[in-house]
Amino acid sequence: MRILLVEDDDLLAAGIRDTLERVRYAVDWVADGEQALAALRANAFDLVILDLGLPKLDGVDVLRRMRGAGGTVPVIVLSARDTATDRVLGLDAGADDYLIKPFDVDELLARVRAQQRRQRGAAVNLIEHGPLRLDPAGLSVTLAGRPVALQRREFMLLHKLLQCAGRVLSRGQLEDAVYGWDGGAESNSLDVQIHKLRRKLYPEVIRTVRGVGYIADPPAATPPPP
Amino acid sequence: MNAATRARLGSIRAVLLAGTVAILGAVLGVAAWMSFDAGQDEAQELFDARLATSARVLETFLARQIEHATVSAPIVIALPDPIEQAEYGEAGPLGHYYETKIAFQVWSADSRLLVRSSSAPTTAFAPLIAGFSDPRFEGAQWRVFSLRSGAVWIQVAERSDIRTELSEKIALAAAEPMLIGIPVVILLLALLIGYGLAPLANLAQQIETRHPDALTPVTLPRVPSEMTPVVNALNGLLGRLTHALERERRFTADAAHELRTPLAGLKVHAQNAARASTPAERQASLDRMLTALDRTIHLAEQMLAFSRAAAPAPARGHAAVSLRDLALEAIEAVQPERAARGLRVDLVCVPADAATEVSGDRQQLAVLVRNLIDNAVRHAPDGSAVEVALTTVDGGVTLSVSDAGDGIPAPLRERVFESYYRIPGTRGAGSGLGLAIVRESALAHGARVAIRDGHGGRGTCVEVAFPPR
Repeated sequence: MRILLVEDDDLLAAGIRDTLERVRYAVDWVADGEQALAALRANAFDLVILDLGLPKLDGVDVLRRMRGAGGTVPVIVLSARDTATDRVLGLDAGADDYLIKPFDVDELLARVRAQQRRQRGAAVNLIEHGPLRLDPAGLSVTLAGRPVALQRREFMLLHKLLQCAGRVLSRGQLEDAVYGWDGGAESNSLDVQIHKLRRKLYPEVIRTVRGVGYIADPPAATPPPP
Repeated sequence: MNAATRARLGSIRAVLLAGTVAILGAVLGVAAWMSFDAGQDEAQELFDARLATSARVLETFLARQIEHATVSAPIVIALPDPIEQAEYGEAGPLGHYYETKIAFQVWSADSRLLVRSSSAPTTAFAPLIAGFSDPRFEGAQWRVFSLRSGAVWIQVAERSDIRTELSEKIALAAAEPMLIGIPVVILLLALLIGYGLAPLANLAQQIETRHPDALTPVTLPRVPSEMTPVVNALNGLLGRLTHALERERRFTADAAHELRTPLAGLKVHAQNAARASTPAERQASLDRMLTALDRTIHLAEQMLAFSRAAAPAPARGHAAVSLRDLALEAIEAVQPERAARGLRVDLVCVPADAATEVSGDRQQLAVLVRNLIDNAVRHAPDGSAVEVALTTVDGGVTLSVSDAGDGIPAPLRERVFESYYRIPGTRGAGSGLGLAIVRESALAHGARVAIRDGHGGRGTCVEVAFPPR
């Protein structure tokens, strides 16, 4: 899960980044409205956390331009503007949620999960995929009721695949979801992560689509686990 | 006017009314007394003349015949009975009852009473000395005229109360219209004063029924010229209050808004530290929290400094303050940052021995100087030089601080003085209040602030020109 954080206060941004990375999100940070639009044009994000009082281009304008260009990525506004008028303005400009500073970290995380749920069209956080269960809040995975210990990157990769179950994801999309801009993605590290996941879970959990990428097949099409 | 005088004055209406009535009463009283006095004088003279005339008539018709007559008993000249017994009355066919108050006696030289009127006593009215006299007789005051004619004395007397009564009646007749007039005058005056003071009552009512938040100017349908300064002063005060209140509201709203982001940061770092899974993570969050705390403290201090600088404080100190000393203190305060970033801060005085004193509030001027130097140091590139110059021009001191940073684009040179304005793209520790504080403090000291290019067209130079002391 890759999140774009748009916040001009470097310290607050660092804190939010710490929070999100600890619960296994890939976070990319920009500090002004123009950079935010550029980042959204160039990359695929699963969620945007957007401050409104931004230099160069106000957050509300970022929202309008992004929605005007057909962008559908969920946006949570994080703002010091606390009046009802401001909230209405933000939501009407295309925000999916609106949090007022200062905010509670747990609440921010819960709202992020709520947006992901909505993306999947689900009512609960828990993602069930055949014998697999992934809990984004508890950061745990079980296979047929037995807990499976996953590394940070493995969890992020599985989360992305299950979140988009049934859709083929390119290598680039998967790398972005795991690493963001900070890289660390060696040319073969994605293959290593996928290999580990297949080994810890079961080989059919991720199917390779040659020349395109990878897919977590919908549960009905999944062969029964061993 | 002190409080005691104000208290004694009480109501203008009462003062005007009481004063007018007192003056009117005094004037009318004096007038009445003067007409009474004049009437009495005139009556006196008239009566005296008549008394003397009566004596001469008696002398002519009586005294000569009786001079040598032998009179065994005094001849009594009686009045008609109705007149004699009347207590009170008007003139009638028989005479007037006042005749009982007029009497005469004729005496021989050896003090024998020869003739008297029935109203006269048998003893002499007064010692037989020629001229007028005022003896008391039978419990009444008389006016007597004694005339010597050959061997006889003629004394004609008249009761003084007739005269008094007459002059009293004249005076009363003159005073009567005044007595009736006074209440009418007072009533009319009360109405007139009420009408004249109506705008005052109107003003008082407007102020009294006003909501504490309503600071719109007072408007009156009719403002007499005497009250115009009061209404203008009041509206001026209301205007200043509105301005101050508006500033206060804006400051509070801005402060609440500006504190949200740093507070959000503090909370995030605190929660991150609490939930950290390794000591290193916890330490990293705590370090960020401390940095955020320092920035928040700096912001709060700048907010207070701005609030103080912008407050229209009447009791500002006006001591002689050396800008040179303040600049040295501020340069000393940024020493650690200078050292860490290889910066040079030079203090230049032109001329070298220039008097750099300005008059004002030391603490506020120190904040002004410190903000200028902090700003320059913050925006100066590492290893560059910041110049602090004190120039004496026409008895006034100009403080200019130049850095070799990115400079402020000309279109933004006015905006950077607005509170919480930060130049886009500059983030971090700045409160957005530094130059706002500089401008407010400068204005409070009558100084002008301007931004120019730094040396060689690079960077920024902020200039504060103080007026001569």
